[in-house]
Amino acid sequence: MNAFLAVLWKDLLCEWRSRDRLVAMLVFSALVVVVFHFALPGGAGAQTRANAPGLLWVATVFAALLGLGRAFAIELENDALAGLALAPVERGWIFLGKWAANVVILALVQGVPSLVFAIVFEVDLLPVLWPFAGISLLGSVGLCAIGTLAAAVAVRTRFRELLLPLLVLPLLWPVLSGAVRGTAELLEAGSLSFEPVQLLLVTDATYLILSFLTFEYVLDE
Amino acid sequence: MSAPAIAAHGLEKRFGWAVALAGVDLVVPPGAALAVLGPNGAGKSTLLRLLAGLARPSAGSVEIDGLRAQGREARAKVGLIGHETFLYPALTARENLVFAGRLHDVPDPGPRADRLLAEAGLSGVADRPVGGFSRGMAQRVAIARGLVHDPPVVLLDEPFTGLDRRSASRLSERLGALRSERRTFLLATHDLASALRLVDSAIVLARGRIAHRSEPGALDLESLDAALAAADAP
Repeated sequence: MNAFLAVLWKDLLCEWRSRDRLVAMLVFSALVVVVFHFALPGGAGAQTRANAPGLLWVATVFAALLGLGRAFAIELENDALAGLALAPVERGWIFLGKWAANVVILALVQGVPSLVFAIVFEVDLLPVLWPFAGISLLGSVGLCAIGTLAAAVAVRTRFRELLLPLLVLPLLWPVLSGAVRGTAELLEAGSLSFEPVQLLLVTDATYLILSFLTFEYVLDE
Repeated sequence: MSAPAIAAHGLEKRFGWAVALAGVDLVVPPGAALAVLGPNGAGKSTLLRLLAGLARPSAGSVEIDGLRAQGREARAKVGLIGHETFLYPALTARENLVFAGRLHDVPDPGPRADRLLAEAGLSGVADRPVGGFSRGMAQRVAIARGLVHDPPVVLLDEPFTGLDRRSASRLSERLGALRSERRTFLLATHDLASALRLVDSAIVLARGRIAHRSEPGALDLESLDAALAAADAP
């Protein structure tokens, strides 16, 4: 538990001092939403609004991939990754610390594309703000669980920028399926059924447990 | 009779087709100081990373104080100080040590960090980010980091790399002081002169095998020099 809190504190402090990951993710995710707005014919028409939940999550995934790549890049400088691997703790706690920091950073980022999304697609998010935040958080938990593990696998390879999306995207379908369906239900009906929430809860728990257990071997050289 | 501080039997490590270590047998008693000499690519760093539990052997076994080196209990007994510092440039020297202390479950890591920084002569810069430190200062913080959990076994991997003469001399003094604390030392280097001031026995690695051994208390400069020259030959 000490290692979990230590890694979470260290990652957030490093990010607070540099802010490079946060700023890049914020600007990138907002720009993706704006690009979608201009790229789709009909602007904020009914058809576009129907596709909007998917577009919003695509922007989130792109931003997350950008941030996840950096999450382990800071461990390469001065071989700090070896310093982490030397810790006499269950290495799963180190994974959880990195994962929690990624979730916090992604949660902070998600506010901006959501705001831009609400403005450009003329969607009123205020009446469903809390369930929308809940679905976003559940989606981020699963996205960061598999993304943090994949980033740790990719970081020691020569083609890490290429490998990370190749590892993450195929495994994201249950997370994206639940998150997009949940967001669509909220925007169309203003309410949320249990089905997408259940899918997200099961996927999040599965990915977290698998990543916790396998991280021991991922940190080995 | 107590277990050896370090014991490796039939240790092999392969990276694909490349053989980094090809059957190393090594026993280091508690409190001893051993130099691992050899040219670049001889397998020194690989040996140290296997001893530290950072990598798994392809064959053979490694034990630290009678415990499997990959286990958590063995990792708690080892401090690895490398030519890389394991430090985060955005964190201050003190924050880096407190973080390492927390990872190693050191109770109250703040005062421990302050004491180690004072011993390293870095109290005045404890609250500055290490990203702005010179190579010599960063290496002194790295040594403090490696000792934050007070390990009985200290592994040093080319600690003099990149240091100017003054910094290397200060580092040598610091390591000499640590040596007097009766920790078990294993120093990997290709610098024979620096090593001989700090150790009481030595091995020479060549192409992943032990090519020469100098027994404790009988360090023979000439034979070591000859073994190193032979190991360096194409």
